[in-house]
Amino acid sequence: MTARHFRVLPGFGLTMGYTLLYLSLIVLIPLSAAFLRSAELGPERFWAVVTTPRVLSALRLSFGAALLAALVNAVFGFIIAWSLVRLRFPGRRIVDAIIDLPFALPTAVAGIALTALYSANGWIGRIIEPLGFKVAYTPTGVVLALMFVGLPFIVRTLQPVIADLDRELEGAAETLGASRLQTFRWVVLPAIWPALLTGCALAFSRAVGEYGSVIFIAGNIPLQSEIAPLVIMTKLEEFEYGEATAIAVAMLLISFTLMLAINGLQLWGQRRQRSRT
Amino acid sequence: MSIDFERISKRYGELTVVNDVSLHIASGEFFVLLGPSGSGKSTLLRAAAGLTGIEDGRILFDRRDVTHVPARQRGVGLVFQHYALFRHMTVGENVEFALRVRGVKHADRARRRNELLQLVALDDFTNRMPGQLSGGQQQRVAVARALAHEPAVLLLDEPFGALDAQIRVELRETIRQVQRRLGMTTILVTHDQEEAFALGDRIGVMHNGRLLETGKPEMLYRHPATRFVATFLGAANLFLGELSAGGLKLGQAQIAAADSQRASGHGEAVTVVRPEDIELADSEARLHSTPLCSGHVQSLSFAGGVQRLRVQLPGDSAVQSAVNLANAAPLVLEVTRNSSEQLQLALNAGQRVAVGVRRVHLLPTPISSFRILADSAQDASQLRNSPLLNQLATSMRARIIDSTASSGEGNVTQGVAVLAADSRAIPTIAAALARGTQRLLCIPAGAPLPRRVVICTDSDAARPAALALVASVMRHLHAEATFVSVQSPAAPRGDVAGSFRRLLDTRAELLESHGLDVRTDLQVGALDDWLARLAASEEQTLIVLGVAGDAAQIEATLTQRFQPLLGGRCPVLLSCSHAPVATLGAAGAMASAQEPDQQLIDGAE
Repeated sequence: MTARHFRVLPGFGLTMGYTLLYLSLIVLIPLSAAFLRSAELGPERFWAVVTTPRVLSALRLSFGAALLAALVNAVFGFIIAWSLVRLRFPGRRIVDAIIDLPFALPTAVAGIALTALYSANGWIGRIIEPLGFKVAYTPTGVVLALMFVGLPFIVRTLQPVIADLDRELEGAAETLGASRLQTFRWVVLPAIWPALLTGCALAFSRAVGEYGSVIFIAGNIPLQSEIAPLVIMTKLEEFEYGEATAIAVAMLLISFTLMLAINGLQLWGQRRQRSRT
Repeated sequence: MSIDFERISKRYGELTVVNDVSLHIASGEFFVLLGPSGSGKSTLLRAAAGLTGIEDGRILFDRRDVTHVPARQRGVGLVFQHYALFRHMTVGENVEFALRVRGVKHADRARRRNELLQLVALDDFTNRMPGQLSGGQQQRVAVARALAHEPAVLLLDEPFGALDAQIRVELRETIRQVQRRLGMTTILVTHDQEEAFALGDRIGVMHNGRLLETGKPEMLYRHPATRFVATFLGAANLFLGELSAGGLKLGQAQIAAADSQRASGHGEAVTVVRPEDIELADSEARLHSTPLCSGHVQSLSFAGGVQRLRVQLPGDSAVQSAVNLANAAPLVLEVTRNSSEQLQLALNAGQRVAVGVRRVHLLPTPISSFRILADSAQDASQLRNSPLLNQLATSMRARIIDSTASSGEGNVTQGVAVLAADSRAIPTIAAALARGTQRLLCIPAGAPLPRRVVICTDSDAARPAALALVASVMRHLHAEATFVSVQSPAAPRGDVAGSFRRLLDTRAELLESHGLDVRTDLQVGALDDWLARLAASEEQTLIVLGVAGDAAQIEATLTQRFQPLLGGRCPVLLSCSHAPVATLGAAGAMASAQEPDQQLIDGAE
């Protein structure tokens, strides 16, 4: 008999059992309930509900705005994370704490605040609306609210990775003749790429399900600025439980496919690094 | 490509990490910057690479100023201690990086990459990831990568620091061969003296941001000029010897002039004896070299080809250590013996041995020791604990000797006498001068560590000795030195031009013969008034005052002109030169004081 490995957590059976039980209770059973409920409709009715113009427009807005917000946050979140790690400036710790505020704030508060700022007589809206930029009650407002909600995910996933980044790498690239852009493209970006992708995925999935902050600033005009979670809520209020769960299942399937795709992308990146033997 | 550093200074906030370093490295030379961690050597290297900006000075490549040229345009190859390989690229892609950023065609890149990997014997590893390689292999990749763009300068920042002993030696060989073959000017930064000896055409030793000495490895080992270099570059036993016309006296032993270097001059001298230059025998009669004393073997250890011994001298030995010993601990010598010596005489711990000296080297430093002159033990300890004396003695590794307790040592002619700057200073100085003391340090109670050094002399005759003293002191202080000439307002206009010329000459002389660069300042007024005002107003200034004359003249000068100075808030370092017509012995002592001139610069000999 060979000596057994020391395990911090007790044996495979017990740990795996807890994992499955927990996942089932918290995630899988509620989700399956949604699936079962929507199955009551039957496939044709399901398809009909999901493909109504109002629902399609809402799904497009929810996913489109979430993706756009995640991408914008990826750029600016990177810059913020970089500044927080690399630069020393007075008030750095305060800025660092502010990053977490969107986590802590009830999202409805953020929604109300954003609406107050960007509506036609708000501080910012007053200035930009005469210039032709309308933010409140448009899809732009939705993106803005989702950017607010998603920022900490990107910054917090990037910070530790940037802190771990060996500065000598940039020095090495510089002495080898690389410009800033080349150093960023070939040295920094590949190193932070997996974390950036994770951050984006987190921010994106959070944004897809976001409700509280969006409904105030979106204006909720059907076919224009109405998001999918709101359509679900409306259906629920109309006691259309079957239709509501159908839309929910559609969202779930799309989200799951996208998550799988992002995971696949990360795995592919890691494989590509490892497999070149 | 030749490299010139001209008066490089680099500060991080309050801390000066590189302090006024000037250095010329010839084209194709392999230069090693050696120093303990924190000595500023890596900063200097990074400044050469362009990765660190500098506050003062210029860097020239082939006499072209590159101080403000960005790193990517300098055309240097830099190898880091922790490799800094791009982990997400293969070995081949790492090596090709410099070519890729320059837009070189794929085929040419591949050809050059194969050449370079062959050069470092890693041609089978092109498609591996760096993480799959051992430390030594990774560092070889880093070397190949740094050579891809055919740099004319190769900079190596502790490249062997993270490697095992055996791999180190292999990689050392690789780097030496590559450097020879490609003929690049190379600077290696290391704290390992063995590496420095093995690789360097020339070595520069850095300490506290200063470049102390440069020279060929053997030259620096055999003829160091400073205590720091003597002890950092290999082990050394440092003694205080007494030079006279007959040669060098070490304890009771008289070493003939022929056996010691530079056995001219007079007075106390720091004597370096390397561990391999000490001979051990079971009795004095069997020694082949000059007998020094007897002692007993404290411990011995095996170190490959040689045996290392520690030999303890009896407490009453007349041999004086030049470094501070803790609480009157007995003097312990470091000795190494080769295998034939071991065969001739087997030794065990505890055994009594006779100690002989084969070869000694005298350090040309004008500061051989600090001798405290104080009336009471309390005053003495106050002086001993003053920040200035502490800093100087620690940094120089010089010994502080209490002349109060053992006032039997009447013949204190050399070393620096240290006394409190108070009302009794002048009589104490006069007494010391009468005994032949030439250098005195007066420290006011509570004086902080100086940030500025001001140098003045009352006559041209006092200048050479004062400058030698300043050069020695400045290497151990983080301060800025200014040579001040004070011009009488009554002097005619022509004299002002002469004063300016003298200032510039002095600066050139300091730079030329001591490697020390100072600022210059011309003041109008009377020297004594100006100094008294300075001493009263500023605390953090060390005033170095050179005066000339015989003992009585100097005493008179001090009493009449500089009494307020000695009661001020600034520490004062007095350099007393005897006038040219003084006794022969004193003139000799002056010559020895000037001797760092020849050696501190570039190991010239």
